[in-house]
Parts: sequence; structure tokens; C-alpha cells
Amino acid sequence: MIALCSMLLAGLLHHSFAMFDTTKQVTLAGTVTAFEWTNPHAYIELDVPGESGATKHWTIELGSPSILQQAGWKFKDLKFGDKVTAIVNPLKSGQSGALLSRITMPDGRVLTNGPAGRQ
Amino acid sequence: MRRAEGLGLRAAVVLAIGLIATNAFAQADLTGVWAPYRGGRGADPALAPPPATPIVLKPQYAAPFEAKRKAEADAAAKGEPIASGAVACVPYGMPRMMSVALYPIEILPTPGQITIVTEAFSEVRRVFMNVPQLPMGDVPPGYYGRSVGKWEGDTLVVDTIGIKPSVPAYQNMPHSDQLRITERLRLVAKDYLHDTITLDDPGVLEKPLTYTLAYRRLPGYEMVEFVCDNNREFIDDKGGTHLKVRER
Repeated sequence: MIALCSMLLAGLLHHSFAMFDTTKQVTLAGTVTAFEWTNPHAYIELDVPGESGATKHWTIELGSPSILQQAGWKFKDLKFGDKVTAIVNPLKSGQSGALLSRITMPDGRVLTNGPAGRQ
Repeated sequence: MRRAEGLGLRAAVVLAIGLIATNAFAQADLTGVWAPYRGGRGADPALAPPPATPIVLKPQYAAPFEAKRKAEADAAAKGEPIASGAVACVPYGMPRMMSVALYPIEILPTPGQITIVTEAFSEVRRVFMNVPQLPMGDVPPGYYGRSVGKWEGDTLVVDTIGIKPSVPAYQNMPHSDQLRITERLRLVAKDYLHDTITLDDPGVLEKPLTYTLAYRRLPGYEMVEFVCDNNREFIDDKGGTHLKVRER
């Protein structure tokens, strides 16, 4: 499964994604502080409340708008204050940055970081 | 006499129809947007790209290339992949631009020229039709070089020279300013296009190599813009790639 994900990612991104640990998945439930529909990548900035009550901020990298459109995304899909749950591959460096794997949107849709299985 | 004239006219009409039909067959309509097609499970193998021939470098280039590949693999394992130009939003150039991840390309034939626009990085290359190629040393080395094209039956043959050595080629293999790229573009089925690319570089390659890119037509697709204005990835002093993470 991990190998399959890696192959899929290799097809979606325009450069190496080896910054991210694709063998690890982290679930981040939080509040969107920004959604940047930009090139070469889109980004979700997310405040995630921790168990201690302190909020940890995460930067989540996505594909580009072109690739995201192919997976059903729209540029207005997220806005400040939206609640989402994202499953991500964290940075190997330990910083609070990650690559999106999939996300549950405020309206309940589950979107991925690219068009899985498209030929 | 009149009968002979009638026969002559009939022959001319048949010949004209034949020429039109031949021409229609000869020059396929490549106009439109095409997405990379890699086949995969359930796909018709005849439409997927055939395997590439190996990269056979001259001995003096082979060892450094292998060492570079190993260094790249080691850096990736550490989580600091060695940056490609794309990390810094530098365009790919030829031949890499012809297939970047899942990004489509658009082919725009006009009289005397075929223009190819890519979605990734909005790259543009121009193929000048039915004109001679310049001598190798007369084209200033750049990202796209100079491309000339002609139809050979149903195949568009494009010759490109003038690619500077710092522009990455197939699988980042080294090349010199003597690189010659020969492309043969042909519809292998309705709405499926193959671009068979041969790279020849007598200074670096022991023998030419050939690989094929396959595409599927995307009717109605509207190409989207790609302006690299929010690049949060950066390259450190050692060439490793990192992501700028925001505090808030």
C-alpha cells in the first residue's frame, strides 16, 4: 500500500517528495487559517488543538491547482475557520509540516491530493 | 476525342480525391490538449508506452552518473532530496517538458508552425515546419533549442538541437551541447498519441537511446495557468530541498 502511494505521489508531483515520510500517517483535526490556491503547490494552514489545550500550527503541502482540479478540488473549497480532518505524511525533519494524503472537508466530502487511478 | 477528354477528367477527379484522402491520412490532426498516459491496470498495452532502451554512457560519464544517482538516493532517504531545477521553479526545457507528472500539453498547429504549450510551468516550444535545420553550432544553447518538423506519412518528425548541458535530459542523464533530439509523433489509435523520442549525443552517449511518451486526448479541457509565485520550498547550501513551515 505504501509502495502504491509512493508511486501515485511520484506521478502527481513535479519533483521529489522525499522530504516527507510516506511510511507515516498522522491525523490532524483542526481549523483552517489559510488556504492558498497557488503554484507550484497549494497549501492549507491548520491550527490543531493538542491534548494539553495548546494549539499546534501545521503547514500542509498539496499538489498544484491543476492536479487538485483533476481530483475534484475547487479554489473556494476551504476558507478561514473551516473545520477539517486531514491525514498527512509528516516531514522527516520533525517540523510541523506535511504532505496531504486525504482530507475530510467541512461538507463531509473526502478529497485526495490528486486523481487516484486516472489513466 | 470527347471520350478521351472525359476519361482524362475522370482520372483527374479520382487522382484529386486520392490526394485529398492521402493527405488527410498523412497529416494527423494533433490539435488539442493531451494528458500523459502511462497505461496501468486494465489499460490496453498497445496504447501504453513501450519500454525505453537503456542509457549507455561513455565510460568517463558512466561512473560519475552512477555516483550522482547514489548520492540522490542517499539524500532522499535522509529526507533532504537533492533539489532539481523544478524546486526553484526553473522550467524543465526539452525534452523533460514533454511529460511532467500528470500535467497536460496543448498542441497548436498553425500554418508553418506547430506550437506546444505545457501546463506545468507554462512552457512553450515552437516547431518550424518544412524548413532546414541549422548547423549544430549555430543555435545558441537554451531550454528549448531550435525545432524543425516535417510530416513523413502519418508521422510528425521533429528535430531539435541547441539544448544547453545544464537542462536536465531523460532521467537526468548528462548531455553535452551536441545533444540531438528526434521525435516521431504518431496517433496509435483514435485519441492516443505516441511521441517516440531518440536522444543522440556522440560526445556523451555510447549509442543513442529511445523512449516513448504516450498521451490521451482530453476533449474540452481548458488549460490552467501555472505561475510559480508561492514557492515555499527552498534549497540549502548543500543542495537539499526543504519546506518553509509557518509558525502560525
